[in-house]
Amino acid sequence: MNGAQDLSMFSMFMCGLMLLIPLLGVWYMKLGITKNLIVSTLRMVIQLVLIGFFLEYIFKYNNWLINLSWFLVMIASAVLSVIKNSDLKLNHFVLPVLLSFILANFFVVLYFNYFIVNINFILDAKYMIAIGGMILGNSLRSNVIGLGDFYKALRKDEQLYFYKLSLGATKYEALLHFAKKSFVAALNPTIATMATMGIVSLPGMMTGQILGGSVPLVAIKYQIAIMIAILASTVLSISLSILFTVRYSFHKTGTLKKEIFRSSNN
Amino acid sequence: MFELQHITKQFSDKFVLQDFSFKIAQGDKINIAGRSGIGKTTLFRLLLGFEQPDSGTILYENKALNETSVWELRKKVAYVSQDLNIGRGNVQAFFDETLSLKANLAHKTNSKAEIKQYFALFELSEDLLSKNIEELSGGEKQRIAIINALLLKRTIFFLDEITSALDKVLKTKVLDYFLQNPEFTVLYISHDNYLPSGVELKTLKLD
Repeated sequence: MNGAQDLSMFSMFMCGLMLLIPLLGVWYMKLGITKNLIVSTLRMVIQLVLIGFFLEYIFKYNNWLINLSWFLVMIASAVLSVIKNSDLKLNHFVLPVLLSFILANFFVVLYFNYFIVNINFILDAKYMIAIGGMILGNSLRSNVIGLGDFYKALRKDEQLYFYKLSLGATKYEALLHFAKKSFVAALNPTIATMATMGIVSLPGMMTGQILGGSVPLVAIKYQIAIMIAILASTVLSISLSILFTVRYSFHKTGTLKKEIFRSSNN
Repeated sequence: MFELQHITKQFSDKFVLQDFSFKIAQGDKINIAGRSGIGKTTLFRLLLGFEQPDSGTILYENKALNETSVWELRKKVAYVSQDLNIGRGNVQAFFDETLSLKANLAHKTNSKAEIKQYFALFELSEDLLSKNIEELSGGEKQRIAIINALLLKRTIFFLDEITSALDKVLKTKVLDYFLQNPEFTVLYISHDNYLPSGVELKTLKLD
């Protein structure tokens, strides 16, 4: 592979110049998000620069222990983000969701590396961190929808849940209706993306591979594989997240604990 | 059968029940009365373990209702809620789902014929079976929820304003069905002041 063309300092300067378009627009229209935009841009630059140097070393040493640890750090921050974005309390959810993410993402990434990419060193930094990151990022998004919706719907439609319990349903039988709905909500975006893939947009991974020197036919094979891996990890992680958190979120009488939510209003 | 002993239940700063005691014997027909917002529904929710009393004890068959026995109790009581959010989708599938719960599997065998009978009794057209719940009128939904409860073949009924959307003839028919059966223990909330003939009604007034 010859790799993508490096961007010179002049290129980065020109890139910064392009930032003037959103910046001036936002300022001129008095949208009140100028400060946010600047802070976010700076954060992006600093975080990416740091991660760039960091990844240089990770790829250079390619040590299984470091790779594994870094992947765990990635999983942990994804889990924090899922919980933070779904109105659920961290202390109730962090352990079960962490366990769910570790199981789901490790399984899918290792399966991908071993059976699909067929590499000998399945903890290889490039594959583990790059592929793992894509799978994880999508698990994150689906879980914010899936897990968040599950508990939100339970709180909103508590009457319906009680009704099912009163019919003699076990806790799991009564929760099935809610779990099904949150699965659909979580999977729908990925299913929609797959249906337009390649026509509306070239997925990020393909773009990266093509710039990196892969021929399109190799790039699409990876893209197909990664989308299926994403579906698998989505289904696995949501199932496990719901299954594991449900154990801690209910009183023994079957009622939902109100203290698991950050906001107290309905 | 049930005994409430010195039950107190408070929501934020409002007392719903205060040092409330009451006994319910097998075969009782009890009309729970009181202005709206007084906590009539809360009483059902306490009996079904969906709410916990702040103090006091609920006895069910002479044993204190706890987190284990409440699950057994929920298999003995049929609860028809005033909330008509009973689910979505096909009506036949709704009955099937109820009867597919582990606790109710035994009642599945004859259900087709029974549903037919109940539909005739409560004046519902069988075409409704293939409709979706969300297409039904309030009165139709109410009767579907009642039939769903009857299919469970239970003998204790908690009925929360189950006739509010029915016309007078149907109201009488539905209430008679429950109140005239000596086997049934019925706690019901209703604003109709209906007095069935030959039945000894008890009134539990909350205020």
